Amino acid sequence: MITEGKIGVREAIWLVTLAISAKMFFASPSMLVGLVGNTGWYMTLISAVTALAGFMFIYLLLKRFPGRDIMEIFDITLGRVLGFAFSGILAIYLLFKAVTRIAEFNEVIKVYVFPLSPNWLITGIYVICVFTLCILGLESIARFAKLLIYFMLAGFLVVLILSSQNYNPNYLYPILGYGLDKTLLHGVVRSSVYGEVILLAVFAQSLQGLKHIKKEGVIGILLSAVLISLSLLSYILTFPYYTERDITAPMYEMATFIDYGRFLQRVEPIFLFVWITSTLISSTIVTYSFIWIYCRIFRMQDKKPICIAGCILLYAAVLMHKDIETVLDYVQWLRNYGAIFVFILPLVSLATAFIRKKGAKAHA
Amino acid sequence: MRKAVITLILILMAMSLTSCYDANEFDDIIHVVAIGIDKGVSDQWRLTIQFPTMKESGGSEQSGSGSGKSQEEYTCVSIDAPSFFAGINMLNTSLPRKLNFMHAQIILFSEELAESGLINEYIAPINRFREIRKTSHVFVVKGKAYDLMKENKPFIGNLLFKSFQLLIKEGAMTGYFPHVTLENFSEGLKSTYHQPIAAIAAVNNGKSFIENGEPSGTEFKTGGEYSAGRIPRTGDNKIEIWGTALFVRDTMVGELDGDETRYLLLARGEFERGFFTIQDPQKPELVISLDIRSSREPEIKVTCDGSKPIIRLNVLLDGDLLAVQSGIDYEKPEHKELLEQAFRQIVKDGIEKLINKCKDLNTDALLFGDYAVKNFLTINDWESYDWNNRFKEADITVNVEFAIRRTGTQAKN
Repeated sequence: MITEGKIGVREAIWLVTLAISAKMFFASPSMLVGLVGNTGWYMTLISAVTALAGFMFIYLLLKRFPGRDIMEIFDITLGRVLGFAFSGILAIYLLFKAVTRIAEFNEVIKVYVFPLSPNWLITGIYVICVFTLCILGLESIARFAKLLIYFMLAGFLVVLILSSQNYNPNYLYPILGYGLDKTLLHGVVRSSVYGEVILLAVFAQSLQGLKHIKKEGVIGILLSAVLISLSLLSYILTFPYYTERDITAPMYEMATFIDYGRFLQRVEPIFLFVWITSTLISSTIVTYSFIWIYCRIFRMQDKKPICIAGCILLYAAVLMHKDIETVLDYVQWLRNYGAIFVFILPLVSLATAFIRKKGAKAHA
Repeated sequence: MRKAVITLILILMAMSLTSCYDANEFDDIIHVVAIGIDKGVSDQWRLTIQFPTMKESGGSEQSGSGSGKSQEEYTCVSIDAPSFFAGINMLNTSLPRKLNFMHAQIILFSEELAESGLINEYIAPINRFREIRKTSHVFVVKGKAYDLMKENKPFIGNLLFKSFQLLIKEGAMTGYFPHVTLENFSEGLKSTYHQPIAAIAAVNNGKSFIENGEPSGTEFKTGGEYSAGRIPRTGDNKIEIWGTALFVRDTMVGELDGDETRYLLLARGEFERGFFTIQDPQKPELVISLDIRSSREPEIKVTCDGSKPIIRLNVLLDGDLLAVQSGIDYEKPEHKELLEQAFRQIVKDGIEKLINKCKDLNTDALLFGDYAVKNFLTINDWESYDWNNRFKEADITVNVEFAIRRTGTQAKN
């Protein structure tokens, strides 16, 4: 069986945070405004609380089977066939997520920055980077994330602070948006925004033990919630609900509005750095988790051929979407149904473990 | 073998850093400065664009003066086209370089277009175009945009970009025109909170400047009562930005002069500073000049409980004495209070008159809706209240707080 090196607590926290929060740079905030109005900034906190509850099930499952990752736990609790199916579904979900993220990035960057560059070139360069990091493995991806996170956080905060010149607190009203019921409903359903926390269960054997996994998951979700909520708050302070829902990438637009006279304007390249690197790390770790699950469920001894095949598959799948609307539909689907894959599958496994009396507690 | 592959990759990477095969050099592109839009004659759009000719301006040429020089450095082309983008492509067939709008700062719409209610149709494509920054400035032109752009030349220095940026900056220092970007204007067109406004640009042909005639009498004028294009002035620079165009959705319904614009900006919290000239309260035939600035954002409270909205506006101003023709000692507390009271009344009357004008035109240009929205819990409630149509029913109370803080370089008259 293939093995992976260990990563530290901070590296795991930043990795999860980056994987989760990269999506705030794309079209999701605009879609959110269409659904709940100007309440996205606190709706995401409801999603975070739901995701924390979902993560607790994942944690309880891991606690029941110490030293094992989620693929092994699926096999033990559900049997080899069903376990294989559950792990496979999770792998396909993660691949679809990576594909959607790169396709979304590709489309948005074409709209704003490289309108003349062909899709195959942007995607190709991007997938080469993903492939390189996947070959280097989890340790390298995590260290790369930790290395860049401070610059990225600084860039992100600079954009938010500089944008304050365009903030209008009146845009927060009507305070309940399209209604509290819609905010609550979408808040719970869209908990999949924080679904990347499942990566901790996928790479459980590479982490520093159960106690640390709990800490990494909780801090990762909370940090991401703060970052996503802050960014959504800054969008709604800049754009009223009736314009924000029409914008392709609010964060980029917001960065273009920064204008402090002739010496400080056109600062969106700062944001581009944050945008590209966070998306790269985020899509890499999701792709790598697909490759990892694939290797584990098929009991492969070498991940390199799967990295090559996985990245070719990724490249082809990214190029297969019809238009930007299709990509946005995929994103919407992922947000609406993603929780089934990341929280419900482990919950089913946990329930089965209880019923079938499998795991550490059963033997105690 | 491995070393050879790595070397090859490094060479390829180094080559890629020298740029793409189809890269554009800076002078392969025409950087458009201003875009003018009129209703076309041969087709729907009359698109006028202004850009630098990039002709070499050596030291000897630069030392030469005169307006002919700037005419050489900037030029305009116009085309009648079915759409904005068709116009760009059509123009590109006659221009030896590619048009690029990344540095376009000025977007001008003709008054005719603004009044016809078609501005949304014309602004939507511009708004979607990635090359045009939303921080570009939007103006409604008295007359035709095409005519104004022909007169749009750098008056001081050689750079039109810089000239216009500095001119716009002056707006904040005078309060005679608002600063409206493409984003502000587009947002206003869709807004459920308020109606859009735009600054007015005009060509001043100097007709209002009467060189010889009867000297002016003692009739008091503030200096701000003129409308765009009619300021009595003369000189080489024919363009002026002055006043505000009022809209209901995408239709221009009225115009504010310089004074009204100042009161509008005061109420919107966008007034920074300006010199006001008022009649001396004790000697009305003489004037007093004041340097006025906002001390804080205006306080606006709106309640929508009853049958009509109730609005309380409190404008907070500070000022310095600039000039007292009468020589009356306005530094003394009793006289100072009198002057402060007089100014408060002038601003209060001015704002009330402006509010009545806006009510008559059914346009909330004063941003009261931004505060009214706080009375509603959900967007559905807010939208069904239909603020933009309820504003005219509002009961509005205006209060002005003003204090003279300093008396200039002379402590006493």
